Amino acid sequence: MNDFSELERELKKLQPRAVSAELSARVEAALAAEEKIVRPARFQVSWLGLGLGLAAAAAFVVLARMDLRPEQRRATGMAAISPTAAPAFSATANVNYADYRAEGLTQVVYDRRDEGIVFPEGSAVPARRMRTAKRETFRWTNPSTGGQLRVSYPAEEVTLTPVSGQ
Amino acid sequence: MENVATHEDWKVCFSELAPGLVLFARQWVRSAADAEDVVQDAFVRFWRRNHCIQNRALLYAAVRSAALDLIRRDQRRARREELVAAEAEQAIAPEFAGTDDAGVELAGAMERLPRDQREVLVMKIWNELSFAEIGEAIGISPNTAASRYRYALAALKKNMAGVR
Repeated sequence: MNDFSELERELKKLQPRAVSAELSARVEAALAAEEKIVRPARFQVSWLGLGLGLAAAAAFVVLARMDLRPEQRRATGMAAISPTAAPAFSATANVNYADYRAEGLTQVVYDRRDEGIVFPEGSAVPARRMRTAKRETFRWTNPSTGGQLRVSYPAEEVTLTPVSGQ
Repeated sequence: MENVATHEDWKVCFSELAPGLVLFARQWVRSAADAEDVVQDAFVRFWRRNHCIQNRALLYAAVRSAALDLIRRDQRRARREELVAAEAEQAIAPEFAGTDDAGVELAGAMERLPRDQREVLVMKIWNELSFAEIGEAIGISPNTAASRYRYALAALKKNMAGVR
């Protein structure tokens, strides 16, 4: 292995030229300008403030979720969820049903079954019996208050269609 | 060299490191003025972010990056730098103060070193970085840095023997 220690000593005797004073002044000016603006690298997190803030936020969330008037809320909730329920309406004494006008009827057929040819009593001809399962919904609206009534119930319809022999 | 890692006063750090940094920057830029611009830019950005010199390798990497940025910004300058580098790597000479005849010969021999060997030599001799730091600064392994250093010294020794 070569011994470079003497060469290294000679190299270290060579001294890099000193930088100009102007360079130091320029660096100082640049750093001073930065000091006047912001110092993000020196930004210190205030752990106490952060902790207090988080605690306050948690307390706010807990209070916001807490049900301070459970009875009142429960009654309101029932009315909102089932506006057509009969007990709810009977409990409200000021409802005048005459003010409500029929708005429409919706029929939703969810099953239709062909039960084949039947011979109804009193009929001279056979008939095809169709059984339809559906849900009917009646709606009433009070124009003055905007209130709505809705009655929905399941229904079944049987249709007999005479079949003529050929 | 004084340990500057714990100094928060930038002036102390800068006065300690600036000559070596400028010498390091001269590996890429032709003029001393450009080298000082590079060092100013890199040091200010580095100090703003770190406020101390805990990681010298990062500082030298910043200087190197700033030098390369300077070259890229000015295409004419880049072409000139590349032309100069292609013609003779020794054209970019480090500057030394108060050199005698032997020193001038040694500096001349340094000029003839390949750039990758010369930058390792500059960081090792005049900036006193470890091979690990050199490797981190220029993106090579410590072993590669050590190898380049030895090649540089061997080449210098050979060149000096030829001169003398």
